[in-house]
Amino acid sequence: MNTKKKSTKWIVPWILILPVVLIRGFTTLYPIIATLKNSLFDIKVLSGVKKFVGFSNYVNVFKDPKIITSISFTVMFVVISMIFHVVLGVGLALILNMKFKGQRFLRTIVLIPWAMPAVVVGMAAKWGFNNDYGLVNDFIRRFVPAFQYNWLINTGSARAAVIIMDLWKDLPFFAILVLSGLQFISGDIYEAAKVDGANGVQSFFRITLPLITKNVMTLCIPFTLWRLTTFDLVYSMTSGGPGEDTSLIAYRITTEAFTNLNVGYASTLAVLLFIVMAVFSFINMRVMNKMDN
Amino acid sequence: MNDSKKYKIYRGLAAVGRWVLFAFVAFLILFPVYWIFISSITPPGELFKMPIDYLPDYPTLDSYKFLVENVGLVSKIGNTVLIIGVTLLIGTVICVMAAYAFSRFHSKAINLMFGFILATMLIPEVVTARPLYEFMQKVGLYDTYPGLIILYISAVIPFTVLILRNFVGEIPISLEEAAAIDGATFSQRLFRIVLPLMKSAIATVCIINFITCLNNFFTPLYYSNGIQVLSVSIVQLPLRDNMYGVPWDLVSAMGWIILLPIILFVAIFEKQIMDGIMAGGVKA
Repeated sequence: MNTKKKSTKWIVPWILILPVVLIRGFTTLYPIIATLKNSLFDIKVLSGVKKFVGFSNYVNVFKDPKIITSISFTVMFVVISMIFHVVLGVGLALILNMKFKGQRFLRTIVLIPWAMPAVVVGMAAKWGFNNDYGLVNDFIRRFVPAFQYNWLINTGSARAAVIIMDLWKDLPFFAILVLSGLQFISGDIYEAAKVDGANGVQSFFRITLPLITKNVMTLCIPFTLWRLTTFDLVYSMTSGGPGEDTSLIAYRITTEAFTNLNVGYASTLAVLLFIVMAVFSFINMRVMNKMDN
Repeated sequence: MNDSKKYKIYRGLAAVGRWVLFAFVAFLILFPVYWIFISSITPPGELFKMPIDYLPDYPTLDSYKFLVENVGLVSKIGNTVLIIGVTLLIGTVICVMAAYAFSRFHSKAINLMFGFILATMLIPEVVTARPLYEFMQKVGLYDTYPGLIILYISAVIPFTVLILRNFVGEIPISLEEAAAIDGATFSQRLFRIVLPLMKSAIATVCIINFITCLNNFFTPLYYSNGIQVLSVSIVQLPLRDNMYGVPWDLVSAMGWIILLPIILFVAIFEKQIMDGIMAGGVKA
């Protein structure tokens, strides 16, 4: 009896993990293989075309001015947003770590932007940046009465507005995660530094910063990946406009796949995005491992 | 004497600085939220008045009434609650099962499966969208409740399994061994011993997954058409007498309907949410 029990025991964990593995497999593994395959075909749903074209989609991507615009804005968006995430995020984390009466309240309200759907943020921003009736210009006009500016119609300001809203929504989240690292630093170290005559600025650069650097760098990996796949915000806020100037690559891919019904081409872009994300993650993990050694 | 006076001034300045920073951050976060709220109770015509009246003279629920009568707000809330409710129920059960297995059984293949679940976090939904859309249509799950629920569950699996697995790992295995000696069966050990100890972790995960599901926009946008949820509705509101392309009266009201449960959740469950975020770094 005992041997029989032993021979079937291996099946228990498999039964337990089966639903989870099946669902994730069907919703991620299967589609990504299909995307890989589709990227080698010219598929136009409307005209019913489906023919094998090898790697020509991949070649065409880099000749398409729309894609070049998308890629360049995506890079700009990721880099600028991440720089502000790190600088302002650490700043906000320090504010959240201050001991005073409002601390609990502040820690609660910074969760609101994180918990809000990006589409609500995007729709509000679309109206908020409106020239005539928006919140932003209303605020500016209280100081500069005749101020007129249509933020979302000009390329530079539309791009800036998208980045600002991205920061508004996600910076508090970044700060909370930095804060979790800050809380591990014992107060004794600062006391000791104070005794040795260090001022606040010195103890920030000599103690706090070195201790949280690795934590912050680790955080930058998922935050960069999330920026690379940002979709909801531009979908609701600018629809990629003016022109194609704010169409982040994730938005471009879904437009090609679901609006232009250019499925092969969309798959190619998706594969390229996935490769970039995978390479980025791999390099970062290697760097992190090196830092540990 | 002079030194302590200086110290007092320094302390005073630091306190003022703290409150200035506090007020600045609180204003940046709360004011836009407040603006959405007052816009939703301002009579639609007055939204085209400048400067903005931040304390509307004649507050009205007209925009909400319009949403209920003409946009089907009640059925959208019903859809959202139903999908999220079933997702949390089934999702939690299967994730608890998996988390237990991943934490207690360590064969090579099981570990590999855990790695697979984590690795799929890296696959963005835009990459899988088109084939998944075609697959869902082929098997008749497109625009159905089961189809949407499966996709909602899929979205919360990696985070939930990760958090719960780490939690099970902290429950001493000796508790179960002791119960086994007393003759408890496997399912008794799982349901009578492990599960009660996981209550707080499960609560945390459910609170965060509720927010994640409410935020889910991509799934209902591309995998359903007739079944509408709140997050998608806000981008599909009809224009009333508005030449600006944004029906701000209705958008602000719909926005506030979504924001209200979120603000309540955040206010009530601040601690659990903080713990959950710090443990798993989940993105809503």
